[in-house]
Amino acid sequence: MAIVKPKKHPPHMDMTPMVDLAFLLLTFFIMTATFKTNDAEVTTPSSVSTIKVPDDKIMIISIDKTGKVFFGVDAQPTRISMLDNIAQSKGISFTDLEKKKFSLQSSFGFPLNQLKAYLNTPDGEMAQIKQPGIPVDSTGTSELADWVYAARKADPGLRIALKGDNLAKFPVFKDVLGNLQSQNINRFNLITGSEAAPAGFKMD
Amino acid sequence: MSAIVETGGSGKGDGKVRGKKLNTNVDMTPMVDLGFLLITFFMLATTMSKPTSMTLNVPDKTEKNDETEPLKASKVLTLFLGKNDDVYYLDGVAADDPKAEESLKTTRFGSELRSVIFESSNRINAANAKDEKGYGAFVCVIKPTVVSTYKNMVDVLDEMAITKSKKYALVDNLTDSEKKLLGDKVKP
Repeated sequence: MAIVKPKKHPPHMDMTPMVDLAFLLLTFFIMTATFKTNDAEVTTPSSVSTIKVPDDKIMIISIDKTGKVFFGVDAQPTRISMLDNIAQSKGISFTDLEKKKFSLQSSFGFPLNQLKAYLNTPDGEMAQIKQPGIPVDSTGTSELADWVYAARKADPGLRIALKGDNLAKFPVFKDVLGNLQSQNINRFNLITGSEAAPAGFKMD
Repeated sequence: MSAIVETGGSGKGDGKVRGKKLNTNVDMTPMVDLGFLLITFFMLATTMSKPTSMTLNVPDKTEKNDETEPLKASKVLTLFLGKNDDVYYLDGVAADDPKAEESLKTTRFGSELRSVIFESSNRINAANAKDEKGYGAFVCVIKPTVVSTYKNMVDVLDEMAITKSKKYALVDNLTDSEKKLLGDKVKP
């Protein structure tokens, strides 16, 4: 009796569709990538607002969960002229190298008297240094106000965004608000995450 | 891998001499490996949800506005943001009212707070005529205390947007009678 044995093939699967899909996804992710920055870690609260945060011409004041305040401006040339402005008004001078390094910081949280020392630390160590935050107090004339002033002088068209952490205490926000109001800034954006609006809600 | 098995060269007996077919199979494994590696990298490195922003307008501090008259307590819902995400509220009662003590209630964020706002605004808007700009009479006064967080404030502002309360005020200091009323609830 001849037993008909099925001819053995090595298991063979056509993976072309999978690979196609994989590369499609890869292309998508490469195109849409906006990289996480090494800013202060801030978990923002969420809101139903649908207005997107503008990408350019923006200064961001961040408040982290311990209440430390950070400041950042988006464009590198603006950062340099902002530093020039503040150096001029405070009577400090920065070297070109320091300016260059400053322009690479997307945000910083140093009192003015410690900034120079920070900019002179070697590149590799910069990320490890704990930033103490920019001094802010309730008088409305603290260093944050100086920075905001310097930034607006560098680029008058800058929009102001506030990015606070969920756990930041309200008094810190109040102080930041005081600093802005002392310069007659009464309109700004609060950066929030997005959340779904409750059922039946329509934005008008 | 996606190998295309060439079964060419099986023609027999036609007597023609054919050039040997080259094997066109390319091992794609390394390329695919790299592809997936990159996918993983980009997926982890991207921030997908772009943050949104809510606009906040605060009144000008320098500008003196003399024509505002004091708000009538009966048209006001006052929300005090306390610690641990608690919200205390006075609905239509002033803090120095003798009834304030018993009418101070506690609520939580989310649908609870929303129904409090809706209830109060419906009641007040029904009882009072609209103002000259066509807005209801309902006013919400938000008082974040020192123990509240930034999230609490944003959440309340968000509730204002959701309940479409057009008239609200963010007031950051408590009056003496409010301090007395809230007592230990707002102590850090």
